Amino acid sequence: MLDPSLRHATVAILALSLGTIATSRQGVAEEAASFPSPEQLLQVPVGPTFPGGVRFPPPIKDPEADDPAAIQRGMQAFVSMNCVGCHAPNGGGGMGPALSERTFIYGREPANIYLSIQQGRPNGMPAWAKMLPANVTWDLVAYIRSISSAPETQWGQTTSRSPQSPTIQQVPAELLTTTTPWAHTEPFGDGRKPSMH
Amino acid sequence: MYRIAKIKPPSNGSDEGEGTLITIASNVLSNHVRSSILVLSGLIALSAPAFAQSPAAPNASPTNLDILSRDPNQWVMAPHDYANTRFSSLDQINAGNAAQLHLAWTFSVGADRGQEAAPLIVNNTMYVVAPYAGPHPNQVFALDATTGDLKWSYAPKPDGAAQGVACCDVVTRGLAYDQGKIFLNTLDNYSVAIDANTGKELWHTKLGDLNEGQTITMAPLVVKGKVLIGNSGGEVGVRGWLTALDENTGHIAWRAYSAGPDSDVLIGSDFKPFYDWLKGKDLGVKSWPPGAWKTGGGTMWGWISYDPALNLIYYGSGNPGPWNSNQRPGDNLWTTTIFARDVDTGAARWALPLNPHDLFDHDEINENVLLDLEIKGQLRKVLVHPARNGYMYVIDRATGEILSADPYDHITATTGVDLKTGRPIENEEKAPVLGKNIEDVCPAAPGAKDWQPTAWSPRTKLLYVPHQHLCMNFKTAQVGYIAGTPFVGAEVDMYAGPGGNRGEFMAWDVTEHKKVWAIRENFPVWTGTLVTAGDVAFYGTLDRWFKAVDARSGALLWQFRAGSGFVGQPVTYKGADGAQYVAILSGAGGWPAAVAAAKIDPRVRNAALGFVGATQDLPQYTSGGSELLVFKLAGSGAPQGNPSHANGAQLETGNAHAQ
Repeated sequence: MLDPSLRHATVAILALSLGTIATSRQGVAEEAASFPSPEQLLQVPVGPTFPGGVRFPPPIKDPEADDPAAIQRGMQAFVSMNCVGCHAPNGGGGMGPALSERTFIYGREPANIYLSIQQGRPNGMPAWAKMLPANVTWDLVAYIRSISSAPETQWGQTTSRSPQSPTIQQVPAELLTTTTPWAHTEPFGDGRKPSMH
Repeated sequence: MYRIAKIKPPSNGSDEGEGTLITIASNVLSNHVRSSILVLSGLIALSAPAFAQSPAAPNASPTNLDILSRDPNQWVMAPHDYANTRFSSLDQINAGNAAQLHLAWTFSVGADRGQEAAPLIVNNTMYVVAPYAGPHPNQVFALDATTGDLKWSYAPKPDGAAQGVACCDVVTRGLAYDQGKIFLNTLDNYSVAIDANTGKELWHTKLGDLNEGQTITMAPLVVKGKVLIGNSGGEVGVRGWLTALDENTGHIAWRAYSAGPDSDVLIGSDFKPFYDWLKGKDLGVKSWPPGAWKTGGGTMWGWISYDPALNLIYYGSGNPGPWNSNQRPGDNLWTTTIFARDVDTGAARWALPLNPHDLFDHDEINENVLLDLEIKGQLRKVLVHPARNGYMYVIDRATGEILSADPYDHITATTGVDLKTGRPIENEEKAPVLGKNIEDVCPAAPGAKDWQPTAWSPRTKLLYVPHQHLCMNFKTAQVGYIAGTPFVGAEVDMYAGPGGNRGEFMAWDVTEHKKVWAIRENFPVWTGTLVTAGDVAFYGTLDRWFKAVDARSGALLWQFRAGSGFVGQPVTYKGADGAQYVAILSGAGGWPAAVAAAKIDPRVRNAALGFVGATQDLPQYTSGGSELLVFKLAGSGAPQGNPSHANGAQLETGNAHAQ
């Protein structure tokens, strides 16, 4: 569970000026010196098709992919920057599309998600570049990649009443705060009250 | 206020007076009243084209639309009439023959999201509007109401970003009509006037800003030449208002905010709230932490009623923001408040907050049905408000006094309404504590009933109520305000209420304070309702059934399995062929059903502000849709002779080939 005092802390961070965020960022940025350059990001294609058979560079690796602390920071930013309001706790979607599935409208590679946050997207995603520095955005990417790792039992998705599919649901956020919600599932609820843990 | 006017030609410009009105007092319409309706509709049929040809007639009688709404052949405003009865005196379709209903024609509005809009029917033309999706968001279509032939369409210039700040799917609840003009609200905050005959744009006015989280979803209402429009965005910290536009120019005549200083709320010397705790200066500022009213919600995305005799409009304001009530100590006036306002100036006459310091997102934008009822031996001018908080309020509409407030669904959040103060009595066990999960809060965030409007029949004297039956887990969290982003601060997880059903369609006896019959539905009943003089009530379900039931017994008369779930508003009218038609849009969406139409994960219960918990299995029953369905009785209408190709297609035979 996320300690309530931690939540206060994230809001307090939000309340600080952007300048403060930028300052605190510098220390982090020095540690993680390997953020992709603007030139690299400019080359990132949104979709998978290339005219003329030309080859793009391989996808940029998430510089923080394997850092549990980055994923944890990403979860805090997801709440404090109100991402959670649109995309829902654990990224189930609502005003904004679900991030809990493995599919992303504007690309699922880390750099795609990074650019969707920074630039915004025309159908409702606001552009965060002036509010979120690179390191916070990469933290968010790490968290979003974590919550999007839905279990895959087949290539497509079957929806059915009998036999029932999907068969599982996540333990809901009001009962468990976690960076890995797909590691905590229970039988699909059919609109009934979730079992209390 | 259900009344039938004696006949006056609409062009004489006279106001209706008490002496010209007949109040329906008996359970059954007398033959005299029936014939009045027939004569009235005949006059309207003659005069309606004159309206259409002079769209901006400046000397038009202010009561034209009121009179027009009494013509049962048409359906000229979303709530049917200013009293919001949604009762039609047509009776060709009745409890005895409704089983013979069948499809007459259909039309696709081309946008597969929640279809909440009411079609309008004016002068044998049907006007429908699509949700904010597809290649032409909020496109308006004019169709021949008898044949379904497309006359024109109008596509506003869209800003796709609007869908990113619309809390609960990209819905619209409909259009408005007056004086030859159709009025459209777009999700991205434009009000547009369109020539009803040609589809030509007459004016457009921008009313709000997406970067402040504002959108518009409600159906406008035109009263005395003013287009009344409220904003949406109670989940984005939007400061709510109701705005009146001049219907001929689109210029703002007045704007009344729901919170802030009295000068902004249009509270002046003639403001006379009934309860003492509502008296005082600038309560819309003082009942909040410093400045919090500026991002405090109180939007207006529901229904407006109008009483011509009192010259008052009635509507309710939405929830305070954020949902996390711990961040806004105080009564948070004037959110979740029923307002009575002078329609000419917007000045508030009385106000009644139903959920002061709202804890659970219980907006009170639901319809206010204006009725003249005999209560304890006295004829009272009342409004009936089926509240989101689960109580059926009967309120004196002249004074704002609550006459009664009876629970109509399972309630744990409160234990009753104190009639001395007008305040609900809160259940301390369910009060939100920051960071703590509160279980079994009933009704859930969308309330016992949301925007989906009721209908009232003067024949049965029953109110027909479509509603949900849900409880929730509710856990508050601190949230910071960032303009244009959600301002919620709650993890919500809804589920079926006691008994396991998630919705209900029921008939409520307003004077006896009780349910007369109820139909339990598996899913929340999110459509509006229509009731007719044929004693048939209509509603639809999320699992794709459109139903006709006996208004007296609730017995199922007929049902139709459609392409997508229903969240729309059924209407009825008479075609040029003399047949009675019933129309509704099919297409799942809106807050409860976006999970079946949008990219939302049914395995994540807190998705869609927690509604997914309650409707996560809906994708097993339906996907999105966009189909207008129009029904009539088999064999009804003037004989059409042998079928012929209405579109000019010609059959070529073997002889033609030989030539």
